[in-house]
Amino acid sequence: MADRNGPYFEDIDLGDEIGPVELVATDENVINFCQLWGNPMPNRFTSQEMAEASGLPSPIVPGVMSMAIMSQALTDWAGPEALKDLDLVFRQPVPHNKPLLISATVTDTRQEDGENLVECDVLMMGEAGERYVGGTALISLPSNEE
Amino acid sequence: MCDRPFWGQWRHRSILQALPFAPIILELILRRMYLDLHSHSVSSDDSRATVEQYVKWVHVLRSKRGYTIDGFVLTEHRKFDFDKDYSQLAAEYDVLIMKASELDTRYGHVLVYGVNEGLAKDIDLGDVKMDARELMKAARHHGAIAVPAHPGRFGIGLVDYMEQGEAFPDLHIVERVNGGSRAGENERADALCQEHNFLGTGGSDAHLASHLGSCVTSFPTEVRDERQLVEALLAGDFTPVWLKDTNP
Repeated sequence: MADRNGPYFEDIDLGDEIGPVELVATDENVINFCQLWGNPMPNRFTSQEMAEASGLPSPIVPGVMSMAIMSQALTDWAGPEALKDLDLVFRQPVPHNKPLLISATVTDTRQEDGENLVECDVLMMGEAGERYVGGTALISLPSNEE
Repeated sequence: MCDRPFWGQWRHRSILQALPFAPIILELILRRMYLDLHSHSVSSDDSRATVEQYVKWVHVLRSKRGYTIDGFVLTEHRKFDFDKDYSQLAAEYDVLIMKASELDTRYGHVLVYGVNEGLAKDIDLGDVKMDARELMKAARHHGAIAVPAHPGRFGIGLVDYMEQGEAFPDLHIVERVNGGSRAGENERADALCQEHNFLGTGGSDAHLASHLGSCVTSFPTEVRDERQLVEALLAGDFTPVWLKDTNP
């Protein structure tokens, strides 16, 4: 446990805030993600024309990529195996090439079946306060008494 | 006549004895009530917050952040939870929990406070094409009140419909400050209130626990239940307030 960088369960309190972590999903990032994902291109995530045909003003970040970005923000904080559940609601299309702010707020802590669980609200917002994606995450943390 | 000096003396003593408590007494007299009039629990399909998480969040706002919030209203989408009883939770955490609805209409979303069996019989709460004017009339007929939610919302708010020429003669109150608004939307609601002399409420529109209370409505009188909430809204003495402004 001594080499652990992330938090322990005992460090966490209701109302604690994580982040915000700021990043940009560039056109290139989205193309790379679609290649890895195996989604045939061009598509509404990579092509202006196909985005417009889908009623979107411009290509958007895929929902599964937004989930990956938010998961990474949480696992960077809590540790690679900490994330047990992520339940998201997609409220607005997530744009390319604009700052995305990912943050979380601790709303509950509990011990259940021998696990130390932390419930968080998670949010991906734009610079002007746009709420792109929001939801909850369940994180399991080690105890510093173990 | 003979007891006058005694009475005067008693009153004098009482005032002196009460002096150390004057700030507390003054606070009790002047104390306003702060209620979040717009929130959604997991009973609404797009919310991820349980009512228990909300009451715990109220505790965080009060004890850790120093804000004042007395309670909140659950305004579930297209329904009213007649069968749900939160009184035990409310008592356990000393938080007022009230129930209401946020209904879809062809002129945008409308918050309805004081929903009862009679109104639910007259109006199909799930009808997304209902006329907001009919809803307002039916609500008043049944002792409830209908308040358009986030009227400044681009594309779906009441402001857009009024700009297209729709009139709402029975309308006096709208939600002026909504915690889920995008840039410019609360400003549009504000302009609507100023132009038509509408009164305005405040609500967080929380779908996550940590968004509860971001804005609230301030009342000068105590509200204990849904009936008193309708009365307080009809009385017209209330203002929308951002959470930071509840910090004494």
